[in-house]
Amino acid sequence: MVLAGVSVIVFSLVHLVPGDPVRLALGTRFDQDTYDALQARAGLDQPLVQQFLGWFGRAVTGDLGVSFRSGETVTSQIAERLPATITLAFAAILVALLIAVPLGTLSALRPRSAVDRVATVLSQFGISVPDFWMAIVLILVFAGTLGWLPSGGYVPLTEDPGAWLARLVLPAVVTGVVSGSVITRFVRSSVLEALGSDHVRTAQAKGLPGRQVLTWHVLRNALLPLVTVTGVQLAYLLSGVVVVEIVFSWPGLGQLALQAVQARDYPVLQGAILLFALVFLVINLVVDLLYTAIDPRIRR
Amino acid sequence: MRRIRSLPLIATGPLILAACGGGESIDTGGGGGGGDVLVAAVAAQPDQFDPHVTTAYPSFQVLENVYDTLVVPNPEDLTMEPSLATGWETSEDGLTWTFTLREDVTFHDGSEFDSADVVYSYDRIIDEELANSFRFATVADVTAPDPQTVVLTLTQPTPNLLERIGSFKGMAILPEGAAEELDLTTEAVGTGPFTLESSDASSTVLTAYEDYWGGAPGVDGVEFRYITEPAAALTALQNGEVQWTDNIPPQQIESLTGGDTVELQTTPSVDYWYLSMNYARPPFDNRDVRRAISLAVDRAAVAEAAWFGAAQPNQTAIPEDSFFHSDYAPFQPDLEQARQLLAQAGVQTPLTMGLMVTDEFPETVTAAQVIAGQLEQIGVQVEIETLDFASWLDRQGQGDFDAFLLGWLGNLDPAAYYQEQHQTDGPNNYQGYSNPEVDRLLQAGATETDQEARKQIYDQAAQLIVDDVSYLYLYNPDVVQAWAPGLSGYQIRADKAINFETVELP
Repeated sequence: MVLAGVSVIVFSLVHLVPGDPVRLALGTRFDQDTYDALQARAGLDQPLVQQFLGWFGRAVTGDLGVSFRSGETVTSQIAERLPATITLAFAAILVALLIAVPLGTLSALRPRSAVDRVATVLSQFGISVPDFWMAIVLILVFAGTLGWLPSGGYVPLTEDPGAWLARLVLPAVVTGVVSGSVITRFVRSSVLEALGSDHVRTAQAKGLPGRQVLTWHVLRNALLPLVTVTGVQLAYLLSGVVVVEIVFSWPGLGQLALQAVQARDYPVLQGAILLFALVFLVINLVVDLLYTAIDPRIRR
Repeated sequence: MRRIRSLPLIATGPLILAACGGGESIDTGGGGGGGDVLVAAVAAQPDQFDPHVTTAYPSFQVLENVYDTLVVPNPEDLTMEPSLATGWETSEDGLTWTFTLREDVTFHDGSEFDSADVVYSYDRIIDEELANSFRFATVADVTAPDPQTVVLTLTQPTPNLLERIGSFKGMAILPEGAAEELDLTTEAVGTGPFTLESSDASSTVLTAYEDYWGGAPGVDGVEFRYITEPAAALTALQNGEVQWTDNIPPQQIESLTGGDTVELQTTPSVDYWYLSMNYARPPFDNRDVRRAISLAVDRAAVAEAAWFGAAQPNQTAIPEDSFFHSDYAPFQPDLEQARQLLAQAGVQTPLTMGLMVTDEFPETVTAAQVIAGQLEQIGVQVEIETLDFASWLDRQGQGDFDAFLLGWLGNLDPAAYYQEQHQTDGPNNYQGYSNPEVDRLLQAGATETDQEARKQIYDQAAQLIVDDVSYLYLYNPDVVQAWAPGLSGYQIRADKAINFETVELP
């Protein structure tokens, strides 16, 4: 039901954006006969409502239509780019958590200490540095000067695991640093909050060892907000990271969506946005389920 | 002439081709390092592979190597020379062109090439009103009296017919029935030096066609890898991941020239970039105002800023090496005279001029900023409007602009570009220019069959167009390409066609 609502909005928004895909396909050279022929072929000469009903009817059955530009089905275009997107999203989240959890916890344990200050500066840096800049610098250093890694591209894991990993490292680091910086601040504040709560004071008063208090009483409670923010970040990453994909020639959904916007390729754009909506719905569901696993009070 | 294509970044998806079962592929474990394969870094993914449908440059970078046309531009001076046609004759009245076709040419599927394929291909473009049907505007009929002969019957003499059917692979010859039997968006059966093997969101792979009529190519295959970011493409070339690229950061051209890490070459292209003012919006309908603006623009400074010097300032359309180049440059930057002209036109300064540019072609944004600075000195306040290309085209089509910047790519014959852009009510005369003398000259040039006489006619027309500032021509950017030292047999071309037929790896 949510998706049906989303699809109405998606369709209207996509068609409301100024710009005519047929005119764009022709470029600046205008020729009325060719224009009319192209428009008819794309079905754009029909009333908008009729276009929507036709598209919606097919979308329900899983047929998202055919790209104006490539003449291929939207589903095959999305399917081809899905593995690269999923790979990068999960690798980036892994990098992000590897940065955020230790860094956020450490700085919460010693607020206002040198460690905390360094962590704050680092995460501020990670959030504010433009990702294209970081990406180009990493390419110039690791692919150019040092020559350790390829400059970009994507090879499926099944084809060559070594090549897959070598090409994944840099984009995962750039994306992971950005996400990790956001998550670090959440970890810090939620650990701080848990540290100050009554049950932690009680546990400490009982004389439990510090490590045990941290693991079972602090971190476990700090996990809830972490799961939420990680879920949001993951959903965002799964919608494609346009800039990083372009700089590293990573064939993900972000590039596809950008190309579709630029060409006003309505079917592809609609399909991609619908997919992103679906991803958010599913991840929200998973996050909710994780809540119940983590926090017994929610189960009841 | 090709239209401005929505160049980079526009591309689409996955085209896994059914690999025709030759069984000759050797497992190289991925990575594209195996065999004698040239890896070329290009800026964007082809949108599709139907030569008659696509208008995207990234597609033609690939298709140039897969398909053939009846005639092709010579790489040196871009005059037309034989390809699938070995010769042609024109009737006395100029209305009948008879082409003799090459023998012993086979398509990639093994079938013989003959006149029926030419008739089929041309009829497809005409009947389905595909993107290039305008090139057949004067063609009444295409017939095949015998398998080696094709006759084009025209409604009026068309001296640039060869340019129309041969300037690029949009006029490719397909095997008869190809569109019905194949999915041409993802499959290709041509007569060219390479076959289309596969294509996905990372690269397009071609394999050498051993039975090519011009002899087997010098490499076993070509992989076009899409690397959008110029810094990444250059790095990939320098560390040996790719052996060729046309995606060079302009600011690095100078430092790479003459170095030994890469072989870099440039040549002025037959593309031109221009500023155009709206004749329907006063005071830009006033010739003096347009001339004042033309006098205030320092083209060399604009070219330097937009291309870091990799562009040649020009007051007419196409560069010096071209046959139809007009040696005419009446406007030397002169602010005093420009101010006088504005005063003479009775224009109150500051005068505000909206200048519409698109981030699709970032060089226009840079150029606009420089021009704004230059015009400010004569009291013209330029308001730069940066739009995405779709909105830009909308506004151009509606005539909703004071002025805009854009370019035309691949200009080979003036009958195409002058006529459409400067004739009264011409299809691409968005500025609204109308000069009866220019119209008369353009009509005469379109039917004059003597090349020298034609050139004189177009030189006269060009002078009027420049004097009236129908277009304020700015510059011709250089074609800039680089490859691995030791790579041989590649020739850089002013029309930006990329042909790997004779390339050999170091």
